[in-house]
Amino acid sequence: MNFSNEYNVEQKEFAKEVRTWLEKNVPKDLVKPRSIFKVSREQWEMRRDLCRKLGQKGWLYPMYPSEYGGGGLGGDKSAVLNNEMAEIGLSLPPLYDSGKLAAPTLLACATDEQKRRLLPPMLKGEAVTWQLFTEPEAGTDEANQQTNALRSVKEKDYFIVNGSKIFVGGLYAPPDQFLLLTRSSLEAPRHQNLAMFLAPANLPGVQIYPLDLFPDGTLGQVCYQSSDSAPGVKHSVFFEDVKIHESYLIGGDYDGWKVTTATLTVEHGDKDTDRAGTGAAFIPRNHLVEKFLEQCKNNPGIKSRLLQNPQLQTDMVEAYIAGQIERLFYMRNAALPRAGKRAAYAGPQTALFTKMLGLNMSAYLTRVLGPQALTSDDEWGLEGGLFEVCERSGLCIAPGGTPEALKIVISRALRIGR
Amino acid sequence: MSLDIRLTESEEILKTAAFNFMKRDISKETLMALHDSETGFNEDIWRKVVDMGWLGIVTPEEYGGTGYPMTTAGVLFEALGAAPLPGPYFSSGILGSLIIQEAGTAEQKKVLLPQVAEGTMVLVLAMTEAEYGWESGAIKTRAEKKNGDFILKGIKLFVHDAQAATHFIVPLRTGPDSDSVSLFLVDKKTDGVSIRQLPGYLIGRTFEVKFNSVKLPQSSLLGEKDKGWSPLTRAIQKSIPVLCAYKVGGCQAVFNMAVEYSRVRIQFSQAIGRFQRVQETIIEIINQTDAARWTTYEALWKLDTQGLVPESVHLAKAVASEAYFQACNLGHRAISGISYSMEHPLSLHTRASRYLYNYLGEPTYHKQQLAKILSS
Repeated sequence: MNFSNEYNVEQKEFAKEVRTWLEKNVPKDLVKPRSIFKVSREQWEMRRDLCRKLGQKGWLYPMYPSEYGGGGLGGDKSAVLNNEMAEIGLSLPPLYDSGKLAAPTLLACATDEQKRRLLPPMLKGEAVTWQLFTEPEAGTDEANQQTNALRSVKEKDYFIVNGSKIFVGGLYAPPDQFLLLTRSSLEAPRHQNLAMFLAPANLPGVQIYPLDLFPDGTLGQVCYQSSDSAPGVKHSVFFEDVKIHESYLIGGDYDGWKVTTATLTVEHGDKDTDRAGTGAAFIPRNHLVEKFLEQCKNNPGIKSRLLQNPQLQTDMVEAYIAGQIERLFYMRNAALPRAGKRAAYAGPQTALFTKMLGLNMSAYLTRVLGPQALTSDDEWGLEGGLFEVCERSGLCIAPGGTPEALKIVISRALRIGR
Repeated sequence: MSLDIRLTESEEILKTAAFNFMKRDISKETLMALHDSETGFNEDIWRKVVDMGWLGIVTPEEYGGTGYPMTTAGVLFEALGAAPLPGPYFSSGILGSLIIQEAGTAEQKKVLLPQVAEGTMVLVLAMTEAEYGWESGAIKTRAEKKNGDFILKGIKLFVHDAQAATHFIVPLRTGPDSDSVSLFLVDKKTDGVSIRQLPGYLIGRTFEVKFNSVKLPQSSLLGEKDKGWSPLTRAIQKSIPVLCAYKVGGCQAVFNMAVEYSRVRIQFSQAIGRFQRVQETIIEIINQTDAARWTTYEALWKLDTQGLVPESVHLAKAVASEAYFQACNLGHRAISGISYSMEHPLSLHTRASRYLYNYLGEPTYHKQQLAKILSS
């Protein structure tokens, strides 16, 4: 066994090349330290620009086929890219982009023509995608879609879309396209009545509104330095008689559930962890836990609180232990392919653990750090407001599948009762 | 070559050998009888274990062992923990050997270690006392000097595997400082030594060991007088991840039992594993198991590649002890009624999860040590 995660010789060489490129191409304004929670529109555009530059090199989606604009690189180099971006406080991609879900979905389900047409803009960073699955009546019951996409009677090669999506998107709107799940038949039975599109977002009849939610992005986005995809508000999207051409339909008119399954397999797994080749893997560092432990160790006021109350020391140690287990789960996941083992439950298990860690962290922060964790005040807050955001966001354990839904996935993967 | 969770070829072979041994040589009846016995082993099994070299697995070759890495010992003990196989294999082969290696003089190592590897000497650490603890301050019993000998009067309590021992390793206070602890090698048959098994379904083979004015010659000192605490601590810490691996084996076995049951037990005309509450319970078992598994194996790997890293040992013990305890609780929830029978294999794990919970330090103790490290 080997638990070291050092670069091999080839990775070291590549890392030098990547660092040099990043030095030259990442605007200083995007490099840490800077607030990851106050990303201006200007900085957003810088991130988009960075996406294009990375995409040109095939580094935005390094493991995807180069014929479609990906890097065609193996796990080793992909891990280096993710690591080096994380070192300067950026994720890969450096903004919220459901291309991470749409790209594998297309690879699994789209026609060759669609792959040639739709993958390159995503993989090259020219198009940002939002995943549009969730609706007011379709959360964990994803199949309960109410947004209709019905073939136009007059123009049979167009679908007319009416309905709404909720809790979607990232910091700034609009994106360029949607991975859009819809109901394509009002008569067919459940699971046989859905259609998936990768549709342009700027079609007439589409309206996007930001939601007023108190969590700031998903917990993964605030926990991991490397998932700093500029977390931000979620949105509603309304469709009023939006015409979508059938060339954007992925799979057949009623294949939507099959396509959704392909997406959810990636979403419930560990899409942020790259597969190890023969070298070091990318293991996201939980900077929330790290910063919390630093406060416990170095902040005199917090140290005093800990000394006075052994219960708080317990909380500190529990946070440490959970952080270590999380790290080891990611390592295990990265090492599985090389070990020639399949463990379909491993990704969802890790996703579940991470969620619960985040939820528990909000309790530890509140107890151990006291009211300082609840304010983003420049003078009295801590870590540039990191803990304040985490307090709010730790509660939000729904994105990417609720713990209850993940347990169903895990259960099936373990064949409990089957 | 980096991150790798595969076992080496020899580890795979060892693991297979261990599982085959238990499947072939230890029937369910035998296993139950072993758990009920005072020593945890019988002559036949002892001989077989000795022949396979398992008692010398962490003893260097120059002293008659096979000198394998700690990770390999972990792989073996994970396999043994699946039964769980009782007996002083850990007490003597791992902890006993490591204490001699850390504390013994060159001469003592030459004389004692081969006997441990051959199984002719069985070592058991008799450390804890009525005021139970694993810090140096918990050792209150003194050994007084009298006419060149040491006189030992006192009680060591909750000594795991005592009846299986030929010799005890007894830490005693011999000097003025809080750390002035000496280690004594005491033949169980010495005049004045008496052993009593403590009753209790969950307490396993745990004993009261009374020393009634036991005379200990100078030669019974293991290593230097007053200097035993440090090597003892090192040996205990090095041994802990192997004990954790035993618990990982137990957790995994409990999980396997629960999943299998979820598939065959029919209630409400369907396999009970179709019910979400049952799924939830079983999922929690694998979560506990995997947390224990990876903290344990990383601790073993660190022992082999970096030497003793206390943080990783405390982490593994805190997690694995709690995991085994909880896994058994959850196993009973998943399997319910029949699992409470003394005949059910889960009951063996439940007992082991309890009597091993405090052994070498309970989770709160190890978390306290982590708190010290994190605050310093």
